[in-house]
Formats: sequence, C-alpha cells, structure tokens
Amino acid sequence: MRMRFGVLAAAFAAAAAVCVTALAGAQAPGVTAHTIVIGGTFPLSGPASSYAPIPVGMKVYFTHVNASRGSDHKRGIHGRQIVWKYYDDGYSPPNTVQQTRKLVEEDHVFALFGGLGTEPQQAVTGYLNQKKVPQVFVSTGATEFGTGQTAHPWTIGWQPDYVAEGTIYGKYAAANWPTKKIGVIYQNDDYGNDYLTGLKKGLGAKSSNIITTQGFAVTDTSVAQQVAAIRASGADVIAIFATPAKTIQTYATMKALRYRPEQVILNSVSATDTFMKAALANADAATVDGSISTAYLMDPKNPKYANTPGMKLYKAQMAKWAPQADLNNGLYLYGFAKAWDVAKALSLAGKNPTRTKLMKIVRHMSWTNPLAIPGVKEKTTPGDPFPISQLKLIRFTAATGLWTEFGSLINGRSGT
Amino acid sequence: VNGRRFPTGVAAAILAAAVLAVLPFFLTDTHQYRFAFVATFFIAALGLQILTGYAGQISLGQGGFMLVGAYVTTILSVDHGWNDLATIPLAGLITGAVGFLFGFPALRLRGVYLALATFAIPIVLIALAKADWASKYTGGVGGKALPHVLSGHEAYIRTWPIAGGMFVLAWLLLRGKLGRSFRTIRESEIAAVSSGINLALTKTLAFGISAFYAGVAGSLYAIVIGFVNPDTFAVGLSLLLLIGVVVGGLGSLVGVVAGALFIEYVPLYAPDILRWVEKPLGSPLDPERAGAPAAVYGFILLLVLYAFPTGIAGLLRRAYKSLAGSSYTQRRAEYPSALPKKEKA
Repeated sequence: MRMRFGVLAAAFAAAAAVCVTALAGAQAPGVTAHTIVIGGTFPLSGPASSYAPIPVGMKVYFTHVNASRGSDHKRGIHGRQIVWKYYDDGYSPPNTVQQTRKLVEEDHVFALFGGLGTEPQQAVTGYLNQKKVPQVFVSTGATEFGTGQTAHPWTIGWQPDYVAEGTIYGKYAAANWPTKKIGVIYQNDDYGNDYLTGLKKGLGAKSSNIITTQGFAVTDTSVAQQVAAIRASGADVIAIFATPAKTIQTYATMKALRYRPEQVILNSVSATDTFMKAALANADAATVDGSISTAYLMDPKNPKYANTPGMKLYKAQMAKWAPQADLNNGLYLYGFAKAWDVAKALSLAGKNPTRTKLMKIVRHMSWTNPLAIPGVKEKTTPGDPFPISQLKLIRFTAATGLWTEFGSLINGRSGT
Repeated sequence: VNGRRFPTGVAAAILAAAVLAVLPFFLTDTHQYRFAFVATFFIAALGLQILTGYAGQISLGQGGFMLVGAYVTTILSVDHGWNDLATIPLAGLITGAVGFLFGFPALRLRGVYLALATFAIPIVLIALAKADWASKYTGGVGGKALPHVLSGHEAYIRTWPIAGGMFVLAWLLLRGKLGRSFRTIRESEIAAVSSGINLALTKTLAFGISAFYAGVAGSLYAIVIGFVNPDTFAVGLSLLLLIGVVVGGLGSLVGVVAGALFIEYVPLYAPDILRWVEKPLGSPLDPERAGAPAAVYGFILLLVLYAFPTGIAGLLRRAYKSLAGSSYTQRRAEYPSALPKKEKA
C-alpha cells in the first residue's frame, strides 16, 4: 500500500513538473494569442445590489473595444479580445474569497479589475498579493487601498478616497461659512469615520465649528434621534456622511421634524440621480434643494456634457449593447469610465503584457479619462498611489433635478 | 438490536474516511478549498442536526453562534498571537456556554415560536459585534483579517480531520442515553418527563452542544476565509444551515454530508446550471441577471424536498432497502423490533 502511494505521488510530481515546464516561456496567465481574460466580483444580489450596473457598464465598454479596430488596425487590445468575467459575491467576504479564487485558479485571469466593496476586497487582498495577481482599481474609496501599497504592492484603488472628499467639504466650509455651526450625522464605521476625519482636517483651525457629531449604526432602523439632536444643537449646516438608504431617511426625518438648516453637505456616494429622486419623493423639494456634494465624473443627466466625445461614446455604446439600461444611472457611467482606464492600462502594457508591467503602469499613470469632469487628471506616482484625487463641488437644484458644478477643481489630497 | 446495524454504519464511516483521505490527490486546489468550506458547514450542520433532527428544537440561529467562534479565534490569533488552530477548543467551549445560556429562555417556547426566537440570535450577535464598545476587539463593521492566507490544500487538511472527529463525537453522544433522551423529547415532552428525563437540563444541553459545534465551525470558517466581519454571519447563513440539514435528511448524521455539499456547491454552480438549462430551451433567462442564481437554488431545493421529503439520507436508505430486497424483508419478519423508525418528513 505504502509502495502504491509512493508511485502515485511520484506520478503526480512528474505531471506537475510537466505542467510547470509547459507554462514557463509561455505568455502571462490569462493571455493567449487571441484573448486576454480579466475578471472581478460585484454584488449582483443582496443588500448592495444597487451597485450591479457597474460591471455592466464595464462590459459595454469592453464589448466596444473588442468590436472596434485600434491604431494597429486590429480589434481588441493588440489583437486580443477582452474576456470579461464577473461573479456575484452578494457583498459577503466568504463569497468574494471563493469567487476570486475561482477567477484566479480556474478561469486563470490575467488580473482583477474594479472589485467592489471595502470589506469584500480587504478579504482577498492578502490572497491576491501572495499570489502576485494584480487587484486593480477596486471600487471603494477606503483610504487603505492607497496607503497600504508597501504591504500590498499588487493592490490599487481608483476613485478619490473618503478622507480626501471630506477634506474638501471642510476647506469649503472654513472659507465660506467661517462662523456657521456644523452638525454631522455619520455612519459609525470606517466609511463614515473616514469622512469625519477628512472634514475636521479640512476645517483645520475652524474644526471647533463642529458643534455636534451624531453617529448611527448601519443596523439602526431610524436616524430620528440623531437628526433631533442636531436640530436641538442649533446647527446651521448639516453634513450627512451616510450610505444612500440612510441619506434618504435623513432627509425624510429632517422634513418630518421641520428642520431646515441653511446648508446641507452630502457625501458623493449618495449624490446620484437615482438616490436624489428617492430623497425628493420621501422628503420635499425645500429640504433637498441646495444640497452640496462633490463629483469627479460627468453626470449623464447634465445637458452641458451631452456633446462631449466621452458622453457621446457612452450614450451610443450603451444604446447599442445595453438598450434596456437607464443611461442616467451614474453607476453605468462609473463602470464605463473605469473600463476605459482598464483598456488604456492593458494597451500600455504592450504586446506581451505581464502582471509586473501592468502594476508598473497603474503606479505611473498620467492621462485624462474622457468621462471625467474636464480638468480632472488621473495621475499616480510611487509617492501618490491615488489615481483620482481632484473633485469639483456640485449643488443640487430640486426644480430641475440637476446637480450644477461650481467653483474650481480641488485636490483633496494636497497637503495631506 | 444496535449490534445488528452497527457494522454497516462503521463500514460506511471507514469508507467515507478513506475517500476523504485520498480525495486531495484528485481535487484541484480550488476544489480542496471549497471542500474546506464543506467541512465547516458540515460541522455547523452536525450541531444543528443534534438540536433539530434529534432533540426536535428548530433553530434559525446556528450561523449566529458561528460568529462567536469566529471572533474568539480572530481576536486571539490577531491580537494575542495565538496559533489559530489552538484557539479552536476555546472557541467551541465559549460558544457552547453562550448556547447553553440561550437554552434557558428557549425552554418556554416551542416549534414555530422557538424558531422565531432563535431568529434573533444572529441579529443580536451581529449588532453586538458592530457596537462601539466592541469595535475595539472585533474591528466593527470593517472586520478583521487573520494573519495567514491558506492554500486550498492547507485548508483541506486543517478542516477535515476536525470534521471527522466532530462526527465521531456526535455519533458517540447520540448512541447512548443522551441520544435516547433527545429523541424522546422530540417525540413527546410529556412522555419524556414521565419517564424521568430532566426536560430543562436536556434541552439546554442540546442547545449547548449544538452551539459548541457552531463555535468550532465558526472558528474554522474564519481560518479558512482569512477574514471576518459581522455581516458574514447574517441570517442567510443560519437559514442555509437549516436547509442543509433538511436536504440531507432530518435525524441522519450521514445525511449532513450531503447537506453540507448542497450548501457549498449548489449556489456556486447555479449560474452554470442556468446556462446549461437555457441552451436547449432558448429561454430568455439571463444567467447574469441579479437573483437568477437564487431562483435556481430555490428550484432545486423545492425539487429535493418534493421528490424525497426525507432528504438525501432517506433516498439512500430507500435505495439500500430495495437493493437489500428479500433478505431485508425476511429480517423484518424475524425481528419486528429492529424495524427502522418510521421516516419523518
């Protein structure tokens, strides 16, 4: 018996050795003569499924790339078709871990792009870095996907991080409302705390203007207590640092309590068309009107961008490949814009892309995305691992249901 | 009477152990990793089988107890430098104690009311893990990463020996007086009390043992995933475990294996199944549509329950009976008392 096992083990070792030799000298994992396989995990079902349009927006752009000829007159990236594989993880780490291993070990992806969610992506960061598989442009603004580059060289974020965004609100408040009292309602976790940290940083010497901070747990059913406390404090400005559902609830509670602060600051995650519509429906125009937020991508609903090349491409390709999709849902545009960067990076990685080359490119980015607000640069250096750091302030007009940009571009990470 | 069925059971167990021992030679690393998940579901579902299948107490809280075990392991290994495997017994015991305490309020409730009360277990424990004062230890909503990332093979060889041990332990516990007490309570509490069974102690003990299993499972779950956050243990996990037990067959320890495989593999391959079904039908089903995999999962679940309500274990038992054929009928006539218990849906 022992003998048999020995033979068996030897056979396996031989087979493994053959496989290894076959791989050596061949192309990078996921890259063949005609295809390049990439993937990601997204919450297509479950509590965070409102983000499901993101991978669809990405798919539409990749389909467009596969169908059109590049400057080398070949379709796809250097003649290779992009195979975009994405799986549902339901925003749950055990699923993310399994689906990510499936992508790496069974689908043999070249790299992972745009994986969504702070905790789900944290759960696979260790694994991917151990395997040296690029985890590029994760869809979360948690600061650590940028700051952790020494420990996790194969991981990089994309959008402005939450601290940077909070800093912009702080700077704006310090400059424009130097004497106004600020009340903050925030989700008491990494996400909300990142924003609060940023706000205080931006206010600097004026951070004593914050007269109350009211935290709530995601699991809380109501935010009435927090809104009432801010109302009682007599704050002139309310800053809402919450996920969409709780933001809508906050607006509704403000209306119910007849609390009308002079100004409302709203984090960008909740400031999209879909959620603002819901806020208007659950509160009223007077409460929501004039809210301030930030943006770094074009708003598909804003007529001023209708004739830009980027927006034209987005609308044409979406109509072609995803005709049922709601074009005004900014999450499709988010996916589309991100996929533009993915294709750009893959193209720059050359005819014989390797994972190392790809990481080198995304750590030395310097270009502009056609769907970003004009002037926003995508730039990374070894000392600055955050691809997008510039934002523009935007103000909501209830009557038209539109966000309007005002002021100039602000770099949230300058001086941090 | 026991002696007559004993050899078949032992033979099956030895065969299963042998299969599990050689399986790693034939599975890819990814599948070994999935089997490690199967092992953790197996342990948690074994505990639930003892509580629900044997003692007759429905619980929708098993996933919540897993949270306790997972955090004991995470906190000890991340913040106090323990070897993660060394934390498993403690994780089991602490969770067992929590389960034992929960058993007291559960004494007053039965059936559906008990199920509803146990529904609160994951909800309360998740809220506790996220609470401000606990965040210092648990990492709050953001969760915590464990120090090691395991390969599929490493995960397999850490989980299955423990799962095997837990199975033997369950078998030993249930074959004696305790198992008999559990079954009596399940059939009739009045009969149990009148035959001298301490109802309160036996029920709370069932909860304690069940939670001990959940604690060990949760601890391994954390080790295998390498990351823990409270929402991992949401109510859905508890429901899956109960479904696994029912699919495997209530009151069958062996059936739990099938249940655990079901929990792990069906959702994973649901989109593929959908694609495969879609081809000949040419139907407009979109495998990538949100919720489509859940629909497949639900359909298979209904099919299993409808076609073999006694679970996969019941199905195997029936197959065995028809294979054994005449000799079985003969034995039945000779030893009426050896009749297997009437299967319950």
